Amino acid sequence: MKWLIGLVLVVVAGAGLWWSGLLNQYLPTAKPQVAQQTATTTPQQQTTPAPINDLPTQTSDTSDAAMAQDTAAVDAQMQGLQNDSASIDQSFNDKATAQEY
Amino acid sequence: MKTYFSLRSHIAGALGLSLLVPAFALAQIDSSVINNTAAAVNAAGSASAQANTPVRTSAQVQVSASTTVSTAVMTRAKTKADTEIDRRIKALGDLNTRVQAMTKITADFKTNLNTNIQNQISGLTALKAKIDADTEGSVLKTDVQSVTSSYRIFALVMPQARIAAAADREATIINMMAALGAKLQARVQATQAAGADITAVNTALVDMGNKLQSAQTHAQAAVSGSATLTPDKGEKTLMAANDAALKTARAEIKSAQTDLVAARKDVDTILKGLRTISAAAAASSTVQTQ
Repeated sequence: MKWLIGLVLVVVAGAGLWWSGLLNQYLPTAKPQVAQQTATTTPQQQTTPAPINDLPTQTSDTSDAAMAQDTAAVDAQMQGLQNDSASIDQSFNDKATAQEY
Repeated sequence: MKTYFSLRSHIAGALGLSLLVPAFALAQIDSSVINNTAAAVNAAGSASAQANTPVRTSAQVQVSASTTVSTAVMTRAKTKADTEIDRRIKALGDLNTRVQAMTKITADFKTNLNTNIQNQISGLTALKAKIDADTEGSVLKTDVQSVTSSYRIFALVMPQARIAAAADREATIINMMAALGAKLQARVQATQAAGADITAVNTALVDMGNKLQSAQTHAQAAVSGSATLTPDKGEKTLMAANDAALKTARAEIKSAQTDLVAARKDVDTILKGLRTISAAAAASSTVQTQ
């Protein structure tokens, strides 16, 4: 019987403390969780940039027209690469003009 | 089916290597050139002096003639130096325009390239101004010789940046073709789902992925092998090492280019294959309808 009274007293004391707000500082609240979530979400967004699409059409557009545009854009870059490659050769073959004195 | 989505990863970070800021090296004065020039001037002066002996003293004529010849030599030397400096400044300006258009290298690497080129242009511009203002032969001689000696830096920076520009272009093409490959893959998968035989187009698709992977490796090797080279400053061992490294980098660029050309042919093969399958399916559908 004594243990039952003791248990009731403990429950009543606990309820009183909770009601008074004294236990709030030891209990987790929703507010910090939100703040923490925000803090972890922001850097994730910053470190995962969207992949750059170098094609002239949307990456999801698989139509014949889109792929014709894409291949034309690739061909233009390939032509540019040929020019770049020729420029490298030119820089290798460059000679300084002989100076007097 | 083999996929190659991993190829879409950007190589910008890996291309971000830095170049060292070059500095102009001053040439040593070649004393034999001075002596030969002086001898030639004195000989001319003596000849003139004999013809003008009644009017002027030999010493006066010698000084006058010497000054005339010296001025002509200096003017010619200045003109040649200016022409060479202008040529290099223009080449560097064109190169910088190309560098500014690069998109796949890191901002730091781009800044380094820009800084190196601007330093070269500033140095050459200052040198030209100094040469134009030179009045003493010995000073002009030193400055003119620095035009020649500084060529080693120019000869390193130009191919270095040109190789970086080509590698940057190759990275762009790799990205484009990888995205295009993903589109083709989606089309091939859809064709396969419709019950068509995709063996031939799939072979080309796998080859395309392999070629893009190889191109990326070669482009990266080109930049890694050339971006950190430093001016040789006349040291023959370093000069030979730089030449070898630049030639190797150029070969890597060409290998990547060959891979990209092959990958582009694969694109045509896949598109042609898809059209053939589509046409066959349409013809079969027409026959069944009739």
